[in-house]
Amino acid sequence: MYGWIWRHLPGPVPVKVVEALALVAAVLALLFFVVFPWAEPRLPFNDVTTG
Amino acid sequence: MQGDEAPTELIEAVGGRRQRAAGGGGDRTQKVVFTVGEVLITLGLVVLLFVVYEVYVTDWMSAGKQADATANLDERWSQEPLPDPGNQRTEKVRPVDGEGFAKLYIPAFGTDFVFTVLEGTTETTLEAGPGHYNDTALPGEPGNFAVAGHRVGKGAPFNDLDLLRSCDAIVIETQTDWYIYRVMPMEGEAQDWEQGRGASEQCTDVKPLGEPYEDLVGQQIVLPHQSEVIAPVPNHPDRVAPPERQAALITLTTCHPRFSAKQRLIVHGVFTKQYPKDPANPGAQPPELTEG
Repeated sequence: MYGWIWRHLPGPVPVKVVEALALVAAVLALLFFVVFPWAEPRLPFNDVTTG
Repeated sequence: MQGDEAPTELIEAVGGRRQRAAGGGGDRTQKVVFTVGEVLITLGLVVLLFVVYEVYVTDWMSAGKQADATANLDERWSQEPLPDPGNQRTEKVRPVDGEGFAKLYIPAFGTDFVFTVLEGTTETTLEAGPGHYNDTALPGEPGNFAVAGHRVGKGAPFNDLDLLRSCDAIVIETQTDWYIYRVMPMEGEAQDWEQGRGASEQCTDVKPLGEPYEDLVGQQIVLPHQSEVIAPVPNHPDRVAPPERQAALITLTTCHPRFSAKQRLIVHGVFTKQYPKDPANPGAQPPELTEG
């Protein structure tokens, strides 16, 4: 999977590194700002009220 | 190409195989196993990232919301003039849902421990700070001023709630007054309160309350559905205290144990003192704030 992505990134190696980092950042942002905030209330970790 | 060979070599190293895949990637099984491995490792990382999110990232997000709530509250307080102390302060304004209306200080957690308390206990409100249960008493009122707060992440206002000892001060500031609550005697301390913990200076105004509060203690751990802990007579929603025996209580709730929502940690305090704010010197603070 990662090898396949690496091979399909265009440009020479230094450019690929930058592209890979950008991809990682994009995935992190997606997780932190979209996926986790959506999933969190559905998971039983942090309810603080009674009743 | 370099990229074609790297995965194959890695698999060989792991499996201890010498056989080289013909033509770089001919072995289907190897490829499938490798990809499944990659996916599993990725999912593991996502779970770890979720922990990071829960414990740290929500803290940063909540810090901003808490700062906004505090700024709004300060602005409102500075715009509306203090009511004339000569007037009867009978009109109590109900706080607006999702907006800050008081500040909570716990000097035992340090002099810088202050949170703006917002009205309501919805998910969104609690992200900004501790939330006041709708329809429970307001600060200083007879009844039970009940507040929920997060213990992990989201600013974690109630992270150390389990460390509160009996008689520790819980101070509530409103626009007009300072209200000093103190944690009730713990279970086991109530027996010989006068000779034991009750003898210390902090505990002057704290003692086990009689009927109908006879089983009320400073800390309890309950199941999530036990909403009776925030009743006017905690644990006894069916009881009504006669007016002359009505106590003004504070109840703080958070999750327990940490990182879990299996139970709730509950702290009860009793109202001991009130300092009206002096319009001539609105910045003055009660001595309890520095007793840490």
